[in-house]
Amino acid sequence: MRALETTPVPEVEAEAEAAPVILGRAIVITSGKGGVGKTTTTANVGTALAALGKRVALVDADVGLRNLDIVLGLENRVKFHVLDVIEGKAELDDALVRDKRSENLYLLAAAQSREKEDVEADAMRDLIEQLRKRFDFVLIDCPAGIETGFTNAVAGAGHAIVVCTPEVSAVRDADRVVGLLPNTWQPELIVNRVRPALVRKGKMLSVDDVNAILRLPLLGVIPDEPSVIVSTNRGEPIALDQTSATGGAYRAIAAKLAGIAVETPPVPVEKPAGMFAKLGAFFGGR
Amino acid sequence: MSGRRIVITSGKGGVGKTTTTANLGAALALRGHKVVLIDTDIGLRNLDLVLGVEKRIVFDLVEVVEGRCQLRQALIRDKRFESLFLLPAAQTRDKTAVSEEQMDALVGDVAAIADFVMIDCPAGIEHGFRNAIAGAREALLVTTPEVSAIRDADRVVGKLRDRGLPIKLLINRVRPEMVRAGEMMSVDDVTEILGVEAIGIVPDDEEVIDTTNRGEPIVLDENNRLATIYGKIARRLEGQDVPLTDLDPPKFLSRLLTMWR
Ligand SMILES: Nc1ncnc2c1ncn2[C@@H]1O[C@H](COP(=O)(O)OP(=O)(O)OP(=O)(O)O)[C@@H](O)[C@H]1O
Ligand SMILES: Nc1ncnc2c1ncn2[C@@H]1O[C@H](COP(=O)(O)OP(=O)(O)OP(=O)(O)O)[C@@H](O)[C@H]1O
Ligand SMILES: [Mg+2]
Ligand SMILES: [Mg+2]
Repeated sequence: MRALETTPVPEVEAEAEAAPVILGRAIVITSGKGGVGKTTTTANVGTALAALGKRVALVDADVGLRNLDIVLGLENRVKFHVLDVIEGKAELDDALVRDKRSENLYLLAAAQSREKEDVEADAMRDLIEQLRKRFDFVLIDCPAGIETGFTNAVAGAGHAIVVCTPEVSAVRDADRVVGLLPNTWQPELIVNRVRPALVRKGKMLSVDDVNAILRLPLLGVIPDEPSVIVSTNRGEPIALDQTSATGGAYRAIAAKLAGIAVETPPVPVEKPAGMFAKLGAFFGGR
Repeated sequence: MSGRRIVITSGKGGVGKTTTTANLGAALALRGHKVVLIDTDIGLRNLDLVLGVEKRIVFDLVEVVEGRCQLRQALIRDKRFESLFLLPAAQTRDKTAVSEEQMDALVGDVAAIADFVMIDCPAGIEHGFRNAIAGAREALLVTTPEVSAIRDADRVVGKLRDRGLPIKLLINRVRPEMVRAGEMMSVDDVTEILGVEAIGIVPDDEEVIDTTNRGEPIVLDENNRLATIYGKIARRLEGQDVPLTDLDPPKFLSRLLTMWR
């Protein structure tokens, strides 16, 4: 099932070209903690937005440890990367890799053999601004941690999506990251890898538990599904799989970002007794 | 005395570095070794949570390095083990607060009072990574059997080799049923790509998530299969010849055996 085959012609874009300064939204996908699903989210939300007819650029800001090309299955098509463009070694047009499945979706890959310290925040800001002139959405895949790579990924963005899993360490790291984002922003939260069965047994934090600490607008809840691992290994975003609950959750998030009203899939919000007390205690100390 | 100085690293985030540090450290302590775990994830510390000692932190690594307290004042003893200690990371500082030289000296001081120093490395290959490997003399590379994790691990192998650090591999979150269905890379695939010998294979187990949230290392539960697995990895780390027969699905097992003959 390929939803993209019915992609409507992006009229929005035609209008954007006529009116000189309609800039797209630049959103950084970040978490603090590693491996919670930033790259998976970037690839899938981007894919789903493109399927809705939006023009989307995905920027991999994980210099030295790039992954986004793999998740999209585009690793063999990458010729130039962000640093080539910044350093004038390639034109932006030559560095943007078009997705196999959608003509609305483009990837700007990260350099694999360079270091995060090689990028300047200002250069990143200029690059993202250029992309915003041409795309409705620019999604920036942030590296784990809060070092230079994080600063650079946030530099050009105007909004943040914070990805968190229902685990105390991920919640603590997400809380730390929210504190490091510009304080005029209102970041939105995605809780990833939720397993309702474990939540019910009291063996996993609920979405409520997580958000009682973070207190962010909830953009979406993504179920944990082994098929995500398979889709990553195959380079086929699960957002294209109409039968997958996880794919559906990503499509719902994209619709929300695109301003399309959707019925949100059911969210596991039951709160087992006892867990929350433990979680709250972590934020009282130093 | 000068203990072993082992960094637990991965490149990719969230593959289980902190989980491995806590459980393998605890398994070594259960075997009678004096073990100090060092959390080098300054600004995003997690090891205290996984061990459940977050409320007992008084001083941290940065304060030791800056000479504002003694090493022994900062070490937190885990009461459930005879000989397991944590040197926590600072939460409100950043990774540039410590230099590579300072970290090397600190780990040297710790190694003088411990059999095993287990250094929990942050994700990525930035300043925090360089600090974490600066004090180490050997590396335990953690990866999951996923394409993106392995690509990142491969990048890290290069950096560790440049440093001359011997590397052992721990493959985490293996799901034998997915390997059998051809949906996940096998142990053979991973070791072949990375060119590093495996010292441990840890299955994906939902109990890990629960015990982590509760701050109780899974090795405390003697009946849990992961306790046995971490115990065997601890013995291999000691240098004992313990065959890698941890996961029992037939195909998986036979492949492993052929790998070790
Ligand atoms: N909803 C999900 N269900 C099951 N597995 C998932 C889900 N989301 C992510 N994963 C798995 O978790 C792994 C880590 O995800 P991903 O690479 O997107 O994280 P990340 O935050 O980008 O990591 P890093 O910090 O290293 O950049 C993936 O390889 C994927 O297989
Ligand atoms: N064998 C396992 N089975 C199931 N879940 C696991 C296993 N190992 C780790 N996990 C889960 O994966 C999550 C990430 O693990 P952990 O925090 O140890 O990774 P990390 O590599 O230290 O992450 P970071 O890069 O952010 O420091 C843990 O919260 C834990 O619940
Ligand atoms: Mg990533
Ligand atoms: Mg960690």
